[in-house]
Amino acid sequence: MSDRSRQILARVGGDRDRRSAIARLRRVTAALAGVLGLAPALLAPAGAQAHPLGNFTVNRLSIVSVSTDRVEVRWILDQAEIPTFQERGRTPAAVLAGKRAEALRGLRLRVDGSEVVLRPSSPGQISFPKGQGGLRTTRVELMLAAPVRDARRVTLRDSTFGDRLGWRSIIAAAGDGTTTRSSLPATEPTRRLRNYPNQLLESPADQRSITLTVRPGDGGVIAPRADGAGMVSTGGRPNDGFAGLFDDAVTGEGTLIVLLLAAFGWGALHALSPGHGKAMVAAYLIGARGTARHAVMLGATVTVTHTIGVFALGIVTLALSQYLLPEDLYPWLNLVAGLLVVLVGALVLRARVRTEATGHHHAHPEGRTHDPADHADGHGHGPAHIHGDGEEHGHTHSHDHGGGHHHHAPESLRPRALLAAGAAAGLIPCPSALVVLLGAVSQHEIALGLLLIVVFSLGLAATLTALGIAVVCARGLGGRLRPAGPVTQAALTAAPAASAVLIVALGCLLTARAVPAII
Amino acid sequence: MKLIPVGRPMKSVARMRALLIACGTAFTITLIVLALTVPPAPRTPDAGATALSRAAGGSTAQRVQRLQAAVRARPADADRLVAFGSALLQQVRETGDVSYYAQAEHAIAGAIAHDPSNAGAFTLRGMLRLARHDFRGALRDGRRARRLAPEVVNSLGVLVDANGELGRYGAARDALQRMIDAKPSLGSYARVSYFRELHGDLAGAREALALALGAGGEAAENIAYIQTLQGNLELSRGRRGAARQAYRAALMRSPRYVPARVGLARAEAAAGHLGQSIERLRSVVARLPLPEYVVLLGETELTAGRGAAARRTFDLVRVQQRLLAGAGVNTDVELAIFQADHGDRKRALTLARSAWRRAPSVRSADALGWALTRAGRARQGVAWGRRALHLGSRDASFLYHAGMSARAAGERRLAARLLRRALNADPHFSTLRAPKARRALNAL
Repeated sequence: MSDRSRQILARVGGDRDRRSAIARLRRVTAALAGVLGLAPALLAPAGAQAHPLGNFTVNRLSIVSVSTDRVEVRWILDQAEIPTFQERGRTPAAVLAGKRAEALRGLRLRVDGSEVVLRPSSPGQISFPKGQGGLRTTRVELMLAAPVRDARRVTLRDSTFGDRLGWRSIIAAAGDGTTTRSSLPATEPTRRLRNYPNQLLESPADQRSITLTVRPGDGGVIAPRADGAGMVSTGGRPNDGFAGLFDDAVTGEGTLIVLLLAAFGWGALHALSPGHGKAMVAAYLIGARGTARHAVMLGATVTVTHTIGVFALGIVTLALSQYLLPEDLYPWLNLVAGLLVVLVGALVLRARVRTEATGHHHAHPEGRTHDPADHADGHGHGPAHIHGDGEEHGHTHSHDHGGGHHHHAPESLRPRALLAAGAAAGLIPCPSALVVLLGAVSQHEIALGLLLIVVFSLGLAATLTALGIAVVCARGLGGRLRPAGPVTQAALTAAPAASAVLIVALGCLLTARAVPAII
Repeated sequence: MKLIPVGRPMKSVARMRALLIACGTAFTITLIVLALTVPPAPRTPDAGATALSRAAGGSTAQRVQRLQAAVRARPADADRLVAFGSALLQQVRETGDVSYYAQAEHAIAGAIAHDPSNAGAFTLRGMLRLARHDFRGALRDGRRARRLAPEVVNSLGVLVDANGELGRYGAARDALQRMIDAKPSLGSYARVSYFRELHGDLAGAREALALALGAGGEAAENIAYIQTLQGNLELSRGRRGAARQAYRAALMRSPRYVPARVGLARAEAAAGHLGQSIERLRSVVARLPLPEYVVLLGETELTAGRGAAARRTFDLVRVQQRLLAGAGVNTDVELAIFQADHGDRKRALTLARSAWRRAPSVRSADALGWALTRAGRARQGVAWGRRALHLGSRDASFLYHAGMSARAAGERRLAARLLRRALNADPHFSTLRAPKARRALNAL
């Protein structure tokens, strides 16, 4: 596939399950690959050819996505040379109109038990790519949609073109505000009917109907694996592109170097999103008077523990995958996370109230209080809290040596404490990293997946380390800027209590958000 | 922990409590996770259903899937690959979808690579080559399979078919005799039937088909195939009712079986229901536009006086020919005859000569004779026509071609005899040619 055809693919539109950032990344990747003259063959799937299905086939692909307020079907038709020839003499507009009528006749959408009418949401596109023997083929893309609110069970049946031979495939794509469980695999190997697999184990697809079970969510798709062994989930939109990056890698788009750089970049960026213990790292380095060397060590620990965390969760998920899916686990983990945050907030608040009662101004280290609050972004770093809880204990414990005093006493950083801090920050596996790992397993690209995760973790650690160094450098300045005016003093006293209340509130919010997904 | 400030005891009590609460939470989490993991089956109801249908055996498509999984589990197992390839070839027979050939070819190549002495793999490759009209290659594979495993009957089928297509009827008969002696089966009886038909023994052919039906086959398609052959045989004897019945029976077995649908269309045309026949052929051609079917559709349209439609249909044949040539597929006997009748006569001669070189059978001799006659070399045409009939065939098309050649060559008595025989064998053998034969006969 040339860069040009890929651009056409992008221009055709409707690919709204990709964010513009990914599109940009992909263009950059494509451009780089072009400039360097590196063929994307490195990761390209083995031999594919034009129409191995025969010159008389009519191949169709439906991509269904269910959003909270609509059901959309992107219908693609690739008609081989002979049927195209049989339509000779008709204008493209007439041919397109005919195909649209056939699609509207042959696609049957049922939502929650009743038939729903699909309507074209755009005029559609038709083109006549060159085929064999100097003949043309026909390619049609249509966007159809039905305005349906909160669909729960969606069935699409494709009976277009009767029993004409050809590829027949239906896949589910991510929708807005939903998580979709599909009865058919979510991947299809033809690159939208452009290249058909010619491999030993690939039979021509003959999928005539799909059933989707939909619940509120964040754009994930849960589907059987293409080889029929178990289920796999493709993350939806919350994966900030890292999972999409892996998809690109598997389909051979982009070179390894570019991919690794991109993984690193995503990791670095991802660290800036809430929920990675940045506040804790900073607070720790401030509170414990760390040095730049400590910051680097902390970064290294984060890399190792994050990688281990992802692997561990991946192994657990794979072991449990016979019984349940990570997506089924996440709502529960979210609930547990929410409850834990409430608990932590309550404990902090209680301690605060008690110290107030005994007249003690215990300036509790920020990290203890802020880190859980950091998670209140609904990210659902559930598993982190299970692991993190234990680690946090060690962390708190280590703090009590120094933190028991009214003021932060100077303290030399001990390796154990440093490790604990790094682990607490790193043992929070990002769902997108987990998706990449599981995707790698399902695609038999485990080595690539592991490599990408390590690089991703490195990127994550790089940001945290940089942050740590910045904090260390700025600390002297910050110390001098801390005045002791009465108002500020009062604020400093009240702040921990206020933050504890905030934590409880956020925990309640998280819990409340987690509950509907389970019910 | 040594220096305990005031309020510390209180705080440590609080921490103890916190610890207890945390332990409780951890316990709860464990319970939740356990509760989630305990019910294993209901999560994937589909998996159970699939397992059931797999155990049940079922259709060829299911067999293909099952064997696909088996091959995936052990990709170097030659026997599994052979079984998989065999199921794929059966899939093509049922659906007419030739895309499975590529897959089958991969499977067979894999089997041969892993086990170069696997007789089954060579038999299967022979079958695939027969399907692709590489008869010499098929003969080599059949012989090799026979050498590797002389006790296995399957390879004899390849030898019968390849020898027959290559015009080596003596060798074909010997192999067939050995086959029928070793193991009477649907496959061997079907070949006996074809062999007898070639030699003009229609009653014997019919009998063999009845035996084939009695022997039974693994897939529904096997029976449908025999029933369609029965229909063809009845139709060529002018017994349209019996033919229709046989085709319908085949379609009951295998509802989309294309040869039976084509048979029905021919029976309809023979009965003069041209519109019905054209409709049916159009639906067949839409699904599977093999040149043979497209030509039949065009000729029926021509008979019905739909010249414009026929021209469009014939254009399609030419396009197909271009595509087939581009893909390196053998040009066929049907295409040579089509060009002789409706197209470029010089091209027809080239095609027929190449067909003869590749497969010197009576079918090729018939095509070459007709192409020669249409190219203005009727005398040679007659000689090749005799060659096509030398086994004693009573095929109306062969007789018609030979008769028309004789007429063009000025051999009036021979022409009259041949044309009469053609019309006696099957008065409706072709909607287009039967009337021509009748007119020619009257004029002689």
